[in-house]
Amino acid sequence: MQRRDRGIAQSLGLPLTKRVKESRVLLVGAGGIGCEVLKNLVCSGFGSLPQYYGGEIASEISDMRRPEIVVVDMDTIDLSNLNRQFLFRKQHIKKYKALVAKETASQFNPSVNIDAQSGNIFDDKYDVAFFEGFDLVFNALDNLAARRHVNKMCLAADVPLIESGTTGFNGQVQAIKKGVTECYDCNPKPAQKSFPICTIRSTPSQPIHCIVWAKSYLFPELFGTSEEDSADVTVTEVDNVEEVAKLRIEAEALKTIRGLMGKSEFAQAVFDKVFRDDIERLRGMEEMWLSRRKPEVLCFEQFAPSMDKSEDVVERGRALAMKDQAIWSLAENLAVFSSAVDALSNRTLASPGTPLEFDKDDKDTLDFVASAANLRSHVFGIPLNSEWEIKQMAGNIIPAIATSNALTASLSVLEAFKIMRGASFEQKGVSKLTISHVAPTHNYMVTNGKEGFMLGGSKMVFLNSRSTERMITTQNLVPPQPDCAVCSPVYAKLRIPSNSSATLQDLVTLLQEKLGYEDFSIQADVGIIYDPDLEDNLEKGMIPAGYIKAGNGFLTVVDEGDEGRVDLVLSTSFTPNTTEADPESGLQLMPEEISLPSKHKSVAESNGQAMTTTEATGDASKVAAHFNAKRKRDAEEEVVGAKKRAKADEEVMVVEDDGAILLDD
Amino acid sequence: MAADHHAVPPPLQDIPTAKEKKYDRQLRLWGASGQIALEETHILLINNGPGVTGVETLKNLVLPGVGQFTILDSTVVSEADLGVNFFLEDASLGKFRAAETAKLLMELNPGVQGHAVTEPLETFIAQDKVFTPYNLILVTAPIDRNILAQIQTHAQALQIPTFYVHCVGYYSAFSVLLPPAFPIVDTHPDQTATTDLRLLMPWPALKEFAKAKTAGLFEGKLSAQDKAHVPWVCLLLHYLEQWKEEHEGKLPESYAEKTEFRKLVRSGDPHEENFHEACAAVLKSLNPPTPNSSVRDILNAPETQNLDATSQPFWVIAMAIQQFYIKHNQLPLPGAVPDMKAQSADYIKLQNIYKTKAREDCAEVLENVRRLEKGTGRSPKLAIDEKEVENFCKGAAHIHLVRGRPFQVVQAGQLVSFGDRAKAMAMELTMPDSLIGLYIAFLAWDEYVATHSSPASEAGGEGLKVPGSGADDFEGDTEKVTGIAHKIMDSLIKEAGTSIEDPEYSEVKDKVGSFCMEMVRAGGGELHNVASLTGGLVAQEVIKALTKQYVPVDNTCLFDGVASKTAVLRI
Repeated sequence: MQRRDRGIAQSLGLPLTKRVKESRVLLVGAGGIGCEVLKNLVCSGFGSLPQYYGGEIASEISDMRRPEIVVVDMDTIDLSNLNRQFLFRKQHIKKYKALVAKETASQFNPSVNIDAQSGNIFDDKYDVAFFEGFDLVFNALDNLAARRHVNKMCLAADVPLIESGTTGFNGQVQAIKKGVTECYDCNPKPAQKSFPICTIRSTPSQPIHCIVWAKSYLFPELFGTSEEDSADVTVTEVDNVEEVAKLRIEAEALKTIRGLMGKSEFAQAVFDKVFRDDIERLRGMEEMWLSRRKPEVLCFEQFAPSMDKSEDVVERGRALAMKDQAIWSLAENLAVFSSAVDALSNRTLASPGTPLEFDKDDKDTLDFVASAANLRSHVFGIPLNSEWEIKQMAGNIIPAIATSNALTASLSVLEAFKIMRGASFEQKGVSKLTISHVAPTHNYMVTNGKEGFMLGGSKMVFLNSRSTERMITTQNLVPPQPDCAVCSPVYAKLRIPSNSSATLQDLVTLLQEKLGYEDFSIQADVGIIYDPDLEDNLEKGMIPAGYIKAGNGFLTVVDEGDEGRVDLVLSTSFTPNTTEADPESGLQLMPEEISLPSKHKSVAESNGQAMTTTEATGDASKVAAHFNAKRKRDAEEEVVGAKKRAKADEEVMVVEDDGAILLDD
Repeated sequence: MAADHHAVPPPLQDIPTAKEKKYDRQLRLWGASGQIALEETHILLINNGPGVTGVETLKNLVLPGVGQFTILDSTVVSEADLGVNFFLEDASLGKFRAAETAKLLMELNPGVQGHAVTEPLETFIAQDKVFTPYNLILVTAPIDRNILAQIQTHAQALQIPTFYVHCVGYYSAFSVLLPPAFPIVDTHPDQTATTDLRLLMPWPALKEFAKAKTAGLFEGKLSAQDKAHVPWVCLLLHYLEQWKEEHEGKLPESYAEKTEFRKLVRSGDPHEENFHEACAAVLKSLNPPTPNSSVRDILNAPETQNLDATSQPFWVIAMAIQQFYIKHNQLPLPGAVPDMKAQSADYIKLQNIYKTKAREDCAEVLENVRRLEKGTGRSPKLAIDEKEVENFCKGAAHIHLVRGRPFQVVQAGQLVSFGDRAKAMAMELTMPDSLIGLYIAFLAWDEYVATHSSPASEAGGEGLKVPGSGADDFEGDTEKVTGIAHKIMDSLIKEAGTSIEDPEYSEVKDKVGSFCMEMVRAGGGELHNVASLTGGLVAQEVIKALTKQYVPVDNTCLFDGVASKTAVLRI
């Protein structure tokens, strides 16, 4: 009988096949790409216990690094997943993706080792030590925040990451390794689109303006968290200051109406407030309409002839809401609006303390937003849309198909082969493999010394299956951006016994003694806790003050001396008992030897990757300039609320108190 | 679902909600008409070799809801199958692979019907009208060359799109046989490419509107507020008039003239957003609305020019458009207006001006269609739907025609001919990014199978021997396959009537040789990952062929998993 993995061994060669089988890999996300990656990993033998290599290998491997595939996903299964997430069936709807993925994949191959975890990758238990337990991490995520987080964790753990994503017919795969390639954050990601507040609230001209109004202003004011407490609207230069002030008063009035919720006149009160009174006020601002069409006032009563009792309107609205591909008439929109207000009011009254949030898949909230947006569009002479179209705009729906996921996931795992092949040469010191039947490889992949050859010849891969000529193309991986705030620092660990009484002073002393810091600052998750002008916190305990927490905490040490060494990021973790490493405080830096190159040298250079001098110098001066500016600012400001500053530092884009309307939900 | 395959396609609103929700993310790409086309399809997979690519392709078609599929495969599941094919389980061992994979694939989507045929290929194909139930055929290598030739003959007669797929180790390839005329109206061009505002050929209503909006602009009489809200379309029309006055009635044509013209627009106001928009639009919007060569080819195609009573609607409408084009020297106006800075009322007016013109153009084309229907004696039952004409008019500048070409089926001891493609393919040999070498390696692989297998009638489908499959075959087979590949390469160069000199010639030879060696090393085995990727590529093209949306591969796609890249060749 033929061996189960004959095909794999023949194509990959025995050394790589062995490595693949012994590997321990993490898959973050079990959605569209994740299901496909899991299938490919299972069918390529990743993390399957070595069986025919005998017991010797199994005994060499500690429990912590047991070969297996770990899948983490916090989501549950939705009906709209089933057209591509092939490990899930109808009966799995509402169950955890990770668990069902394991269950289905194991049916196909019971001998495979899968550890499924229905958790949030941001959870404390997924700390740096957790990430360090893997040979390779696959990102199969659908959002920026989680991608950036895993990127940072992999940098801290120094584990290679394969990042992937799809939109419609397009896809992309990128391998990331600390000090070798660009990281996910080396290139700024496009900012979300926001609109000036007056466009949204006073002078809309496109359907999207009305949708944003309904979704991000009216809905939260009535059923959710009021605008002022959450992310909101950008006040831009073009906005009229007086108008902005009036808009605040308008929002206040809406809060009063919120008090009528549950009463039969609630829908009418809301309707007349936003489509009659507010519009009448706008119409009164003559100068606004000199060159624009005046908005049309709508009044609930004007539809009275077409309805008898409010009960009927609700019923009619409910029936109409099923026809989401049709463009509703004005009266139909009013009926859907009434029924949605009714449904949402009942839900709010049933559980008063929990504000509702817009969710494109929550039909009541979508009905509300679609009908309110359409009514507003009518008021301003803007074309109406079907609910189906509004759903795409309001929910920021990205088309997704099975083929793109299959292609992108396969490309991810192909890159994994290359990285593992590359890693095996690094570790075993093999520079070149001969081509033969038993130890095959692509010699040009391994010995190619050309620029851009890194991670075993891994490439940045682009998919565009809509194209007919160049469906899959590649680009060389690029060395890290020397000024990247995320990957240019040196990452190390700070361990502390969970019962330690160590103070910030202890840490400062440790850094001074062990690493020769003189003029420096320390930033924790809560903000800047120490700098040459800030010594108020020195006596505080590291743990009680929340500077070190269990899980994913980071402390950033910035050298402010003339020498200007690169930033040091310390990932913090608890050790169970007081160790003897430092009898005073129990604080322990890992590794013992930390080399902090000067900022003039890039991190890449310190890792043996060549960088051109001109580039490095240019960047160094830029870094220095930024540095001085930052220091000056820090010195000028009084440490009033460390929290506030921490926030401002984290977010590159500083927004005014009115914030920006986010299209993403 | 199978029962109402031939029912009248339901309108968009009538797709039941749960199904619509399940398919929501794909409906946003190919719409209800694409979905209906998919659901009316019955695909036949003729699965050979390790068979992973075929099954992976079907997975990607079962998920989006293809109507039915049939797997023809007489292989019995072995241990090796279990290691590489996700759609088999331990209990499948020793059972028919067709039945087992069909069963597990069907679990993916209860709306899809799967069937398995386990009889040997050669007896299956000997039956009468055996391919008529199917709309599309997938064939995976290795396959007896005579049977492949027969399948091709049937597919051509029935005009069924057929795919011939290879997947060996890190490499894969597929060729698509489409009907000799495969027209596509819905090509989904890039949104940026579809904007057609006819600024060089404005009609009276548009001219008047622009004039009214820009009145006083030249004299500086517009208020700052009004000036900042003149739609950029009007700004460009205004400055074009000014340009014509200064240039003897000529429009800016060359790049230099357009750059000069842009300066003129910028001089109107250096800061306002609408002026920025106008400047940004100069290079891409000031092009004469002439159809590209592939559209002109369609308008002049024999099928367009020689209509009869049963011509496909596509050709009748193409002829009606051609008549429109001859009369007006432009295609019908699509009518869409991009977002721009403007007061809403003006923007809506502008939209209406374009929409009205588009409707008028479409009405004229429709008139032509009706006249052509009458002239050719078309039965009123076959009357062309107005919607179809409208859709065609909107996309007229982007319609596409693929002329399907047959596969190259190797014959033992006889070198394949490249015919009219020889010159182009010989040129590919020396292009650094081309994968023609990989294509030749696959031809050589097929040739090896043809010369090393016992006749199918004696040994059955399993009689096929692929290079590198025996324990000690590697070196000998590498030499054989490389030898055949080099012969094919030389004959291609000769057929093209060209020559390649050293050192380039040796480099090309080496490249072909390294493809062959890698291929032999895989011993006919499939790497799951590459099979899965190939299944993605093939399924994507199947969807294009079935929905008649997007432009399909014409006609061969190669994938090199070592370099992670694809290339498309017209063989």
